[in-house]
Formats: sequence, C-alpha cells, structure tokens
Amino acid sequence: MAVSEVDLKVGHGQAYAHHGELLQGMFADEQGYLHYGLVTLPCMLFHTEVTFTVTPNSEIIVEPATHSKAFQAAKLTLHYCNRSGHGGHLKLNSNIPLKMGFGSSTSDVCATIRAVAQACSFHLLPEEIAQIAVQAEQASDSIMFDTQQTVLFAQREGIVLEEFHKPLPVLEIIGFNTDATGQGIDTLTFTPIHYSHQEIEAFRVLLAGLRKAIALHDPYLLGRVTTASAYINQRYLPKPHFDRLLQLASKTGALGLQVAHSGTIVGFLFDPEIAELEERVQMILTHLFEMGFHISHRFRTEKRTSPRKNTA
Amino acid sequence: MRKIYPTTIEAIEAPTLIRITDNFYVVAFRLMKLLPAHFILDRAQQAGLLDIGSIIIETSSGTFGLALAMICALRGYRLILVSDPVIDTSLKRRLEELGAHVEIVSGVEAYTGIQQVRLDRIKSLQEEHPGYFWPSQYDNPHNPEAYTPVAELLVEALGHVDCLIGTVGSGGSLCGTSNYLRMLFPQLTVAGVDTHGSVLFGLPDQPRLLRGLGNSLMPKNVAHMAFDEIHWVNAAEAFLATRILHRTHALYMGGTSGAAFLVSRWWAQQHPNATVVALLPDEGYRYQDTIYNDDWLRQHNALLTQLPEQPCLVSHPHEVNENWSYMLWKRRTYEQVLHYPFLGGQSRGQ
Repeated sequence: MAVSEVDLKVGHGQAYAHHGELLQGMFADEQGYLHYGLVTLPCMLFHTEVTFTVTPNSEIIVEPATHSKAFQAAKLTLHYCNRSGHGGHLKLNSNIPLKMGFGSSTSDVCATIRAVAQACSFHLLPEEIAQIAVQAEQASDSIMFDTQQTVLFAQREGIVLEEFHKPLPVLEIIGFNTDATGQGIDTLTFTPIHYSHQEIEAFRVLLAGLRKAIALHDPYLLGRVTTASAYINQRYLPKPHFDRLLQLASKTGALGLQVAHSGTIVGFLFDPEIAELEERVQMILTHLFEMGFHISHRFRTEKRTSPRKNTA
Repeated sequence: MRKIYPTTIEAIEAPTLIRITDNFYVVAFRLMKLLPAHFILDRAQQAGLLDIGSIIIETSSGTFGLALAMICALRGYRLILVSDPVIDTSLKRRLEELGAHVEIVSGVEAYTGIQQVRLDRIKSLQEEHPGYFWPSQYDNPHNPEAYTPVAELLVEALGHVDCLIGTVGSGGSLCGTSNYLRMLFPQLTVAGVDTHGSVLFGLPDQPRLLRGLGNSLMPKNVAHMAFDEIHWVNAAEAFLATRILHRTHALYMGGTSGAAFLVSRWWAQQHPNATVVALLPDEGYRYQDTIYNDDWLRQHNALLTQLPEQPCLVSHPHEVNENWSYMLWKRRTYEQVLHYPFLGGQSRGQ
C-alpha cells in the first residue's frame, strides 16, 4: 500500500499505574474452567505518556530504547490496525517506578497501543487493547479499562472474567516498597503459581466478598478481601514483616493490607471518612520509618478522570 | 438469566438462604451431603481414581449414602453401602432403586461398637474388590473443603456473618464453612450442636435416638479448635424443635435441622445485634413416620410438650446433664478441654 500524506499522523496515548492488586488468584468461569485472574487497584500517582509518529518505512524506533515491550506493542498494534508495513517513532515518558508492582510495563504497553491506534485513526476498545497487551508482554494487568470500571481480569489471556458494574468504595492508601534494596521483581521471570485446590476453593469465597464489597460500597469487607488475598500470596511471594504489618494495620484501624502479588509494594487501606485519619497515617509512617522504610506514597481511589481516549 | 442446572445433583445440592428474623437466617438444604459426596467424587475422578463401572465402598445409614447413590446412578459407578440395622426401609429401597448394593451388618447384639463392625466389613469388602474407591467422609479432607459454596452464598448474600451454628457429625459442614468464612471474618463465632451419647466433644458413647449428628468414633474432620461453643441437645428437644420449625416457619426439615434451629434461635435472641446463620442439613420427608408422628415419639419416650427456654451452662463435658446443655469450648483442642481439671459441679468461670 502506498503511503499517503494522511497516514503520516501523530498519536498520543496515556495510561496510569496501578498499586498491585486487590485480589489475585485462580477463578472458575461459568463452565467451570479455571483461569488465572486479578483485580487491579489503579493508582493515579504515576502514569506513562506516549507519542507515536507514523513513518513510511517499516522501522520502529523506541525512545528510550529500554522499553522492549513497548516496541512489541507498537508492532502488534500497527499490524492490528492494518499498517503492518509501517513503522514509526515511539517516544515514552513515564514516572512509574520500576519492578515494584506498579505495573510500569502494562502502563507503557497500554499507552503505546493507544498512541499507535490513534496515529492509525483507529479507536480500540479496552478489550482489544487487552488482547494486544497480553500478546506483547505475556501477562498484563487491567489498567486498559476505565479506572471507574472494576473487572476480574485473566492476566494471561487478556479477557474479562467478570465485571462488577460499580466503582470501588473510596479508599485512602498508604503504600511503601518492602524491598529496601530496590532490586524488585522481574515479572517475566516470575512463573505462574501452582495454587492448591484448597486455595482455588478459597478464592471463590474471596471473590464473593469482593462482589459484595463493591455492591454495598463496603470498604471494611473490601479490606478483608485484600488482606486475605495478601495472606494467601505469602506462600508464593512473601512480603517481609507481614505479621508486623498486619498488627500495625489492626492497631491503626486500617481496613487491611493490600499487596502487589507479583511485586514488592504493600498498601495500608483506610476509610477516608475515619476519625483522626492523619494521626493514624502518622503512626503508620513512624512505624515504617523505624522498620527502615523511609519512602512511602499516598493516594486515594475516587472520582477520577479517565486516561485520554483515542479519538479517530 | 435463569439458570439451567446441568444435572440433578447441581440442582439439589444448591442451598437456599431464608430469613427467619431480622438477625437470624437459615441455610436450608434439601440434601446437604450432596456437596461433600459430589466434591469427593469429582476430586477422585480428576485424580483418575474413578471411571464408569468403578466400585465405591462406603459405610453409611443415612444421607451421605443417599448422596453417593444419586451421583453413582448418574455417573455409572457401582456403589456398595455398608449399613447398620437402624437404616429405615424406605431409604434402603430408595438406595437400591438407585442401583446401590446395601449390605446390612448384623449379628451384633449391643449397639455400641457397631460402627467398628461396619468398618471391619468395609475392610473385607475392600479386599474382595481391589481398585475400589472409599470416599471416607469422616476422614477425607475433601469433605470440609466441599463447603465453599455455602461460605460463598453467605458472603455474597449477607456481606457479614457473626455466628455460624450447625450440627456436627463428620465435622465437614461446620468446620469447612467456618474455615472459609474466617478468612474474611476471623472473629466469627462457631457453635457446634452435638447430642447426648456422642463422643465428639467428650461424652461417653451411648445409643442415640437422634440420628444424623454426633458420632461413636472420632472423625479426623472434626477440627475441635474451630469451635467457640458446644451445645448438647437431646432427641426429644430436637424433635420438638423440628416440629416447631415446621409449625412456625413451614420449613419441613429433619431432626438435625431441629437441633440446629433450637440452638440458633436462642443464640440470635441472646445477641440481637449479631448476624446469626444456622445450617439445616436435610428435608423432613424421611421422618414422616418418626419425628412427625406423635405415636412414634410417645413410643420412644421422646414426646415433649414444651421446649426448654435456655440451655444449662456447664464448664466441662462431664457436667453435661440429660437436657440441652452448652459450654464455652473456646477454640481449644479436645485434650485441652478434657484434661482441664474437672472440679465436680463447681462452676469455673475463666
């Protein structure tokens, strides 16, 4: 196909980070087939912005060059948008910390897919972005969905197992990185977990709890679900000082703990309406500081603007 | 969308949650034991232990045997049930109609020890049929694990549960359900209902008129540390409670349901701010000629006119009298409770 002037377009894409997961495990679908699945906790503190300029030659240049998954995502999206022979210049700008469980990779990939699609004058649905993302990076979180839309997402298949139809209850999250060395986890080397059948049964109950917490807008029940999910995950990717963190959560009246199941960040969940929130947060920070964790972050899940959408 | 059940098993095993009062709910089963029978046979099938024509051997005179027979009829397994003479004839006919071979162990004069005789017969049958599968509801860990659908139902429908009450026989339903509920509600109070003459919580083994709860042997599936409270309900009390459950709530259930109802209704009245749930294990049709028949009750000296208003609090199993009694088990092991110094009738508050 000859390259016309119209094709030489620029597209922009953006995607947020997440703060690990509310729930992660293995879940049966209606037919009883089991899928790896997760429910992402979006985090608006960090995001990736991408600009993609279509060029007539087939070369894709990624800047910075370290983002190899973004390269894959751009290539796959060009193919998906019937521009297989084309290349382009992909420029990423991200403030998401790496290898902690903030989902920097999926954020890069999603923002890239959005930018490339926009440059090709395509409007992609979140479901389509999910399919491309999983092809590009094997496993993705569900940050391609609107942050107001909570879904149980099969991270290795790129499909939605269940939609919850309501936003999450408003939560205040005090998070920190449990890995003081900062080496983090390389998600690509993290092989799929072989859950016991007891755990697979347990996930049914936790999922029921999550459904009810979202339906009732019940932050307390939600905190119990995230804590139980974090607890099961201790068998596979243990967070240091977990018992101490649980005690601290209980002592400060937190709703519970929440973790990045394949990362190293942990969050204390609070009901923002709770009395003396600032004192409680201070107590957490003081304890974390004593434990050698000097850096923390704080954010809220509340009415937010969605990442920029592709427009044709 | 209206659900179509793939087989009779899924349709009948699904429990129904019913509100009795503002803070008191019951999970009514048509045949609760379908859950563990289904789950145990599914696991065995997945492990390659079962195929069409496989032989399943189990000891049961009650609902677990019925549940197995229903599944075996659908799946083409051969079922041999070793049963004691107390099995009622209509249940025996029903089991045989479903294709099960029911073997009655007889020749034992004293009731005590008959369960051991049944187990001995199982052993010899197992030698006769190599390649058999033994579901072993009392000791198979898949029994308690089968109860996630109940925990799932309660979590999704109620969002919170403070107290779960049910009868204890194999330990599967109450230990299983509470284990899963406590992942979300660690403070959940679990009250087990046993009966006089059952060894489960430290009473001496004796003949029991109330069937379907209690045990003469100690199953591995009774996790004593799961229990906060234990109640002992006698047969007459359970039967009258069964009738009252029917009269006042039109719930036509078996005697174990009556025992659970008696305890849970009281518990819910005592704790008006707590959400209380009782498990009701089976329907009343099997008991039309017994529990629902005054003549039979009179013959067995089990016709009460009035229920006790409250149980008698005891501090040790040895203090349990012949009527409805309870003690605070406090999530201790059997040994911790039984070896706790017993000082006669003296009440020992802790």
